[in-house]
Amino acid sequence: MLLRYIARRLVLVVPVALGVTLLAFFSIHLVPGDPARTFLGDRATPQTVAALHRAWGLDHPIPVQYWLFMDRLFHGNLGQSLYYQSSVAGLIISRLPVTLLLLAYAAAGAVLISVPLALAAARRPDGIADQAVRAVGIVGIGMPSFWVGTILIIVLALHAGLFPVAGYGSSLPGHLWSLVLPGLTVAISIAPMLVRSLRTAMIDALNSDYVAFARAKGAGGTAVLLRYGLRNASISAVSILGINIGFLVGGTLVIENVFALPGLGSLMVQSVLDRDFPVVQGITLIFAVIVVLVYLLTDVAYALLDPRVRLG
Amino acid sequence: MKRTLTSALAAGALSVAVAACGSSGTSPSTSSTSTAGAPQRGGTLIFARSADILSLDPTQITDNESIWASENIFEPLFASAPNGKTLVPWLATSYTLSPNHLVWTFHLRHGVRFATGAPLTSADVKFSIERVSAKATNPFAFIDAAIKSITTPDKYTVVITTKYPWAPLLADVALFANGILPANYGGESEAQFFAHPYGTGPFRVQQWVKGSQLVLVRNPYYWQKGKPYLSKVIFTDVPNDNTRSLQLQGGQAQIDEFPPFSAISQLQHTSGIKVDIFPSSRTDFLEFNEAHKPFQDVHVRRAISYALNRKAMIQAVLFGHGTPANSIISPALWGYDPSSPGIQYNLAAAKREMAQSSVPHGFSTTLLVGSGVTNEESLAQIIQAELKPLGIKVTLRPVDPNTEYTEIQNGQYDMAFNYDTTDIIDPDELISFSAMGGTTGQKTRALFTNYNNPQVDRWAEQAERTFSLSARKALYDKIQTQVANDAVMGYLYYSPFVYAVSTKVHGFTVYPTGNYHLENVWLSH
Repeated sequence: MLLRYIARRLVLVVPVALGVTLLAFFSIHLVPGDPARTFLGDRATPQTVAALHRAWGLDHPIPVQYWLFMDRLFHGNLGQSLYYQSSVAGLIISRLPVTLLLLAYAAAGAVLISVPLALAAARRPDGIADQAVRAVGIVGIGMPSFWVGTILIIVLALHAGLFPVAGYGSSLPGHLWSLVLPGLTVAISIAPMLVRSLRTAMIDALNSDYVAFARAKGAGGTAVLLRYGLRNASISAVSILGINIGFLVGGTLVIENVFALPGLGSLMVQSVLDRDFPVVQGITLIFAVIVVLVYLLTDVAYALLDPRVRLG
Repeated sequence: MKRTLTSALAAGALSVAVAACGSSGTSPSTSSTSTAGAPQRGGTLIFARSADILSLDPTQITDNESIWASENIFEPLFASAPNGKTLVPWLATSYTLSPNHLVWTFHLRHGVRFATGAPLTSADVKFSIERVSAKATNPFAFIDAAIKSITTPDKYTVVITTKYPWAPLLADVALFANGILPANYGGESEAQFFAHPYGTGPFRVQQWVKGSQLVLVRNPYYWQKGKPYLSKVIFTDVPNDNTRSLQLQGGQAQIDEFPPFSAISQLQHTSGIKVDIFPSSRTDFLEFNEAHKPFQDVHVRRAISYALNRKAMIQAVLFGHGTPANSIISPALWGYDPSSPGIQYNLAAAKREMAQSSVPHGFSTTLLVGSGVTNEESLAQIIQAELKPLGIKVTLRPVDPNTEYTEIQNGQYDMAFNYDTTDIIDPDELISFSAMGGTTGQKTRALFTNYNNPQVDRWAEQAERTFSLSARKALYDKIQTQVANDAVMGYLYYSPFVYAVSTKVHGFTVYPTGNYHLENVWLSH
């Protein structure tokens, strides 16, 4: 049952991806700006500009360029980066793990921060802990993530020496250690939203009949909190994290810049500014697939956590 | 050299963070000369830079980071001297020029070897230089346009024959694009070679992670005995200005490329760090599109140039680290005329020019501004205010930097910010792009201003064919005077290259073309 559902959803990835490539292609091509002229800068002689247009296929009308792009795509070829002059697939493969790991750290960090805070807040609504958590949340939403990142670097890396000062490191342990601060920064940026929703979900759970019944039977405060509040609220947490994957991915763009991480976000920004069309199209496609897969994972996790939910 | 787009955006980040961690320190340091004793061998230099390396193929690169990295791997026959005003023998020890000025015979240095140990021969030189103009899409193909043929009569002799007498040839040959590779990629395929490129230069590539870092290791066969001192150089890509500074302060990098001008004074007061300021070949200016009214009127252009308070701009944008520009050529270059009459601030003269112009009561116009390019945004506001007293109403048009380039080159602007530099130690490249109009020079319509003065074109072409240094200088002086009087551009300022460097680094010098010879750098332990 579940497997059939997953298979059906996976098939739906294809039309979504196609729609996204269409949108991405036309938006980046219709925006003014010529990659050949930027590549050559003030050494843009008319002959070289024309030669680059021909070599990069930019002298065809846009629908023809789209057709050529889709033709290459169906043969499994994402094309060549105009600026790097190496394969787009290669660029994406080398940078995708960085972004995925960062997202994983961010999600894990967000949960680790939000759940205890939400529990503390929901335990006694409008109590001191609750007020404090809500205040911190409001401040948190106001802090720009690049500022938070820089402050974390200064305090924990520069002065305390616990972490490297940005960068990605040069070995697997180095990579994993370098991602802690950036992951924490993204987690902090999404935590206020998560805490709020978790808190509300937990309060609702704790006000329900079955909890009142459990208390009447003599179950202790903490046991009730953890067993009922947490389990039910985790469903909300999963949904909120999943739906906000777009926000999370967007958040990584700025963080990759601050922490000098060679991820897809920074490559995307650079390529849009450079009008490196094949790279922009390739990354948009990958992001679209990631988002759709995360939605699928969210729904599946939801079904696994809540036995009442029937998928399909 | 092209401007990097993302670093312009990253320059908009906070400098509060940097200020917060500056410690009380020693007296401010100025451009340093190394008096720290004999060079020590060994060590790894981590060089944090503001943008990524796109390619290491010298015939394909236009961005600074790629160029300056490739120059430590591949070397040319002749190279620029540190002051940027003359050329010195490098892979060639000498040359002779035939009486008809068409045949240049270069004698190669003996004992030069590639990083594999293979000796440098004339075949390598012919292979490399012919590659530069092999494809129409090669960005610097134009630099070798005068070359008719290259022959190799023996292992140590290269003969370059030009199509016409061409005085800038030596400077052209010294360009980074003409750096020498092993012939036929040393037996590898082109793709294999450029995955781990090597040349005769002080370093070769050990590892290259795009977007992250390029790791260079010492070339054990390097022809300058005893050099390089460093064992390793790592170029890292750290686009955020604050983060680069923090890495320098935390010891994770020893050189920070281009800290913001606003951070210079605070960095100078940080212990363990010195700020090195080097003259550059860069001239910043305001361009006028003479195909749009009323910029065809020289009085309008002169009036606007008179109204620009360059000292105020230098203070606002460069925090005092710059000088007002009086010529299209920078003082760091051979050929610069110190008495070039580039118009300077004089509001009374501005009003007089306006009175003589076709629009004495002023007019409305637009100024193209690179959105996110902090300097341009500040300068635009200053200029808008400074032109008001003349009755000129300026509307700012912010566009992203890529669109900005396209619109300038397509002539879709009234006024715009632009700048020029040179890649070679000769005024010819710069003049052929920026001063020659119509179908002459590089056909870029005097850097897209649509200025067209046949007299200037004739002087420029004459300077290309004349071999007497003093005669060429006289011609370039005439050109500078003419374009300054014609106010083709409103020259703004000359700005330097700024590097924040650990006090452990010695021998680091940046040439006016922006490049550095890392074989001279050493770290004290």
